[in-house]
Amino acid sequence: MGELTRISIDFETSHLVFPAIIAIGLGLLGLAIAIRDRRQILAAGAYWRDVFGKADKPRFFGTIGLTLIYFVLMEPVGRLWPNTGLGFLICSVPYVLLTGLLFMRERTPAAALPVAVTAVVAPAFVWWLFTYPFFLTLP
Amino acid sequence: MFEIISPLFLSLIVGGTLIGIIFGAIPGMTATMAVAICLPLTYSLGLENGLALLLGLYVGGISGGLVPAILLGIPGTPSSITTTFDGYPMAQRGEGEKALRIGVVSSLIGGLISLLALFLFAPALADFAIKFSYVEKFLIILFALTVMAALSSDMLLGIFSGFLGIFISLIGAYDVERGGNGALRLVPPGTEYWLESGFSLLPVLIGVFGLAAILEEAENGVGLTRTASSLKIGKGSGFSFSVFRGQIGNLIRSSSIGTFVGILPGVGGSAASILAYSNAKTFSKTPERFGKGEPAGIIASESGNNGLTGGALVPLLSLGIPGDSTTALLIGAFTLQGIQVGPLFIGDHPDTWNAMILAMVISNIAMFAMMYFAIRYFALVVTIPKHVLYPIILMMCVIGAYTINYGVMFDVWTLLIFGLFGWLATKIRLEIAPFIIGFILGPSAEIYFVKSLESFGDLTIFFTKSWIAMVLWGLVLASLVGSITMARKRKAQVDLQTSRGTAP
Amino acid sequence: MKLTRRNILATAAAAVLLAQPLAAQAQQLPRNVRLVIGSKSTGGDTYQNSAIVAEALSEHLGINVKVDAVGASEAFKILERDSRGTTIMIFHDQSYLANLYGVPGYDDPFEKYTVGPSVAINPGNAYLVAADSPYGSMEDILKAAEKGERIRVAIQPGGVSEIGFSALKNAARVRAPGSEANIVPVNTGSQSDKNQAMWDDLADVINGSIQANEQFTQLPADDAKAMRFVWITARPETIAQAPAEGMGKTSRDQLLGFTSPATSVTLDGTSDFTFDKEFFFLYNKDMDPAIVAQIDTALTEIFAAGKIQERQKEAFFIPNFLPSQEAQAHLSAKRDTYAKVIAEISGD
Repeated sequence: MGELTRISIDFETSHLVFPAIIAIGLGLLGLAIAIRDRRQILAAGAYWRDVFGKADKPRFFGTIGLTLIYFVLMEPVGRLWPNTGLGFLICSVPYVLLTGLLFMRERTPAAALPVAVTAVVAPAFVWWLFTYPFFLTLP
Repeated sequence: MFEIISPLFLSLIVGGTLIGIIFGAIPGMTATMAVAICLPLTYSLGLENGLALLLGLYVGGISGGLVPAILLGIPGTPSSITTTFDGYPMAQRGEGEKALRIGVVSSLIGGLISLLALFLFAPALADFAIKFSYVEKFLIILFALTVMAALSSDMLLGIFSGFLGIFISLIGAYDVERGGNGALRLVPPGTEYWLESGFSLLPVLIGVFGLAAILEEAENGVGLTRTASSLKIGKGSGFSFSVFRGQIGNLIRSSSIGTFVGILPGVGGSAASILAYSNAKTFSKTPERFGKGEPAGIIASESGNNGLTGGALVPLLSLGIPGDSTTALLIGAFTLQGIQVGPLFIGDHPDTWNAMILAMVISNIAMFAMMYFAIRYFALVVTIPKHVLYPIILMMCVIGAYTINYGVMFDVWTLLIFGLFGWLATKIRLEIAPFIIGFILGPSAEIYFVKSLESFGDLTIFFTKSWIAMVLWGLVLASLVGSITMARKRKAQVDLQTSRGTAP
Repeated sequence: MKLTRRNILATAAAAVLLAQPLAAQAQQLPRNVRLVIGSKSTGGDTYQNSAIVAEALSEHLGINVKVDAVGASEAFKILERDSRGTTIMIFHDQSYLANLYGVPGYDDPFEKYTVGPSVAINPGNAYLVAADSPYGSMEDILKAAEKGERIRVAIQPGGVSEIGFSALKNAARVRAPGSEANIVPVNTGSQSDKNQAMWDDLADVINGSIQANEQFTQLPADDAKAMRFVWITARPETIAQAPAEGMGKTSRDQLLGFTSPATSVTLDGTSDFTFDKEFFFLYNKDMDPAIVAQIDTALTEIFAAGKIQERQKEAFFIPNFLPSQEAQAHLSAKRDTYAKVIAEISGD
């Protein structure tokens, strides 16, 4: 033992020690998986075709798309009325409305009403709560 | 010590507990945030009343996290992650109310046991806690990490996911405030502007649990909402106190673990329930039932995270050092009033000390009373039409991500990145539970491991440091052996039951 | 601002909607101001001090000032993006010390931002030894270093916690060139890590603070946690303004025993090194000078009224208002002194 186990870590480079160990572990585990599951990995193309074949594409990609737009717009809109949280409020209403309609199975006017009401009430309430009683910053 | 009880004192505790529960119950809102928001109010309330409010928020916030964890599979706070493992499967079987009741009772017991420890042994426990150097703290984290193996349904993929979680948690600067050198690593060129401080825990958490689950629902076309009649509620919930028969050991052990993790500064609050859960599984006679809706899992997780509440106050009140991020804010409440917390606090301010203990006891009882009787209505959350519920959850996740660090837009993008990652991960059979545990514990594992070697300069220190280290190694080994035998047993069963070639 | 479609859209919309009101209000702080701080903790000294100032400003000007604890690197980024005065920042000496120590992500604040008025000092920065330590004073420590004893000092590198350590090394160099090599850092993080380093016998001296460590100095000597102050880095004039009862069971007079001149850590052989942790405003470089003036005036009036000083002293801050111009001159002179200290000791 003695000499063999001695280790000296230089503070200047100490940020690399642990990531290196974890990276090696990750690499070895990855290799083991690649060997064990090689057949499934080679069949990945067919697997993904199957996944996307079965997926409800409008709802899945619609959710991602709406969320992206929502996130992109929130801050620039908020910058028009700085530090008021209006960016959040103005973007959340259409977002909640549209995702709600997207998720709805049978889109009838009667069923859309609760969605529309929620889309106005929920963001407005949350905005009020965070801006006044909680005094927190929203976009 | 009871003269402090005034109508104002009581209503602040009860009000604080209620607000705390609401914060804990909303995915993305945490006890820490509730305390941060109310901290400025305490200046005008005076010390005892201010603390009553903050402690109520703390207890309520930690407890409320179990509601969405069980009903929606989204942990309301980082400390209720392990509650999802068994709570959500139960809710999917329609046993949401039963799971909630188990969680609430365990929370109460965890809270009270930790208070007892705080009240009777605070100074002695603090003296014991300072015997834990970098080495012992690393071994505690290592033990908590072994639960990754136990939670994996496919050992190899599970451990890979856990390592991936650790790896991703290391992205960014090696945190100076924890003792690192501030240098960046694992940051792809060109992304330094965003990744300088890495990914924050909360957005990652609600991304992989919240957004990912909703994306998966969207992929499957957003199925029908549950009807109230398919739920086991009210008399038919199947809950009775006999669930706790045979669980007394689990309750006491998990509460003590939670308390002790709270006492150790720097180990972090979320480790409490993870350690309690991994311990319960290691010592269970039926470990294979964990993760599939086993009440013992909820008991361990919830008594563990409420055990934290009393424990985290020990170093605060006897060393002046916070035990977790929420108690760090309580220091602010003291200094606002010009009161020092440190080793002399309890002796110098016996009235404040008594008031705090009393406030915590009342808050735990109030938490129990409010939640136990409101459970029936909580349980109906899952009957809200999904097209109404999901958009609101999405919006709340965004708010939680944005406000957790007081308004950082990158945290919102983190939410989306990890939402997509979480969806993708389940598709390629990576496992979320070990991933998130690796992500939570990664930074602590790093700092304690590297600092142990930096300070002692010898690998053998991990074995020779103290008897505490030896005990911890024993636990690590027991947990690993347990997981391996379990995996063997499971494999043998699978081989028996299914023919070869069937995809798992 | 890059010319992306969203920015063009946003700018166009802004121009249409807000051209009038913005033009009218360009000389003033907007109604809603975000005050970001260089700390992530809402329980720490930067937050408390900023909250006191924000409250006073809100009341005095009749606007909303919201303190956001986003942390140093985010705060600088947010400040950089906003020149309209809707975002301002409060931070302390860390802002330029981290730059001097070469911490990644820290630019020179005097160049990249506008340094605004200073508002308060946290006089607490201190160094401590274990109660049973052989070193009774800084003199003992420096002599021991001269004799070749290795002195390990627990600090958090790269800023306020390191500057006293650098000064100690510099003093050793001035007194006995070469002896500074015997003073070595133990790089730790939070206060709890530094205390723990002492209890684990990994450090002989730790950086701490009057507020967080005073109670440990009052423990009986046989308690393993007991400590003793050896040095308080604040200027004696600063401590002299603290309440006479001092902190806890240590009176102001006792505290003065640990500052210069009673405890001397020399800067250059003639004068002593001192360090006060000062809190000051930082603005976007392009912010309207009228807003700078507005905040200066408001703070002058607030400090003249005298109520804010009481709040600050209650929380153990020393009021220290200097309007922008004076603060800039004072802080950049301070920075130059420390730059020299750091340069001297890194020469070896």
